[in-house]
Amino acid sequence: MSITAKQEQGMSFLDSIAGLILSPFQNLFTSTVQSVSDGVDHYFDLVNVSKENERLKSEVERLINEKNELIEKIARQKRVAGLVAYQDDRKKESLVASVIGRDATQWSKVVVIDKGSQHGIKKHLAVVTNSGVIGQIIHAGLTTSKVLLTIDSRSAVDALFQESRVSGVVVGTGEEQCQIKYVPNTADIKVGDRVLSSGLGGIFPKGLFVGTVSKVVKKKQGLFQEITLTPSSDLSKLEEVLVFLS
Amino acid sequence: MYFIAQIVIVILLFSIQTTWLSLFSVGGVVPDLTLIWVVYCGVHCSRAMGLGSGIVTGILQDSLSGGLLGVNTLSKSFIGWFFSTLKGKFYVEGVIPVAFFLVISSLFDGLVFYFSMNTVLKGEVATRFLYQSLPTYSFYNGIIGPVLFVALNRFDSWLKFKTSDPYMARFK
Repeated sequence: MSITAKQEQGMSFLDSIAGLILSPFQNLFTSTVQSVSDGVDHYFDLVNVSKENERLKSEVERLINEKNELIEKIARQKRVAGLVAYQDDRKKESLVASVIGRDATQWSKVVVIDKGSQHGIKKHLAVVTNSGVIGQIIHAGLTTSKVLLTIDSRSAVDALFQESRVSGVVVGTGEEQCQIKYVPNTADIKVGDRVLSSGLGGIFPKGLFVGTVSKVVKKKQGLFQEITLTPSSDLSKLEEVLVFLS
Repeated sequence: MYFIAQIVIVILLFSIQTTWLSLFSVGGVVPDLTLIWVVYCGVHCSRAMGLGSGIVTGILQDSLSGGLLGVNTLSKSFIGWFFSTLKGKFYVEGVIPVAFFLVISSLFDGLVFYFSMNTVLKGEVATRFLYQSLPTYSFYNGIIGPVLFVALNRFDSWLKFKTSDPYMARFK
């Protein structure tokens, strides 16, 4: 018993010494193995993470596209709702159409809409937005039609001023704005006056908003004033329009 | 093949012209890609092709712009004929000559429209068209033109290579 005890005491002393000497190396090796093992594990993890990252990126891209599409759909719905509300107010048979093309030349101001004669569209129908008059149909194809905008130099709309009830003719200039012709010098016209369609000519119903006066020049000589009109809508940004079918 | 490719180019140019080119408008003015194409055909193609491109483009533009019958046909076919007839007489290569002749062609195109509208067609084109829209249009064409010329040149070379004799093509 005493021999065994002595041997055990000796062993434990040797163990302690060996442990003392080996433990730093053991720690080093263990930590090295651990770190290598971790590195290998992380490498494989990284490969997976990289793959997942790619997948998530494409998912994010898809969601962004989806979101943009939804935003666009909501915006379109709002615009169409505005047109439909306007349509209900006017109590006239009408049709919502989308603008699918613009003029082929620099000089004409024409847009192409996605509705044609098979939808009931014919020549000389009034085309409006919820802001007011934008033009008239000049050609109705089977599935598409051409709309001559009020700013085209061939366009003329008989109109009157909302307040003074003086009448004139709104003609296009081929640029962003229109002019009102044949308004006598004696008429009291101010910048900001609203101009409505008079109903004469048989294309545009009476009372549709045509535009706002942006400039008035009264010449000392001559019978008529030079009046510039800003159209009711921004005609370079048309997307949906309403065609009055009667 | 070459003829079909030219038709495809016309369709492509018209599609761009009537859809998203308005996104690049400067003061409501956009370049006329078809005018540039007519000048290109006049300079680089045969006389018949130069004149034909002008007539076809003009008629298409007239029909698409709804009733402005003849104005574009007149100006575009004259431009096509002018360049295809006189191409040997002057040098239309490089950025500056191309831009210069495009500016001149655009001014001519605009003036034909202006005088036709204000005389024969009884339209109402404002006088400021002459000092605002027309110069902008001409310079815009002059800037865009050389770029389109390079693109059309590249496409032309590629097309000629593809449609040439495969045996001879090896030595090119």
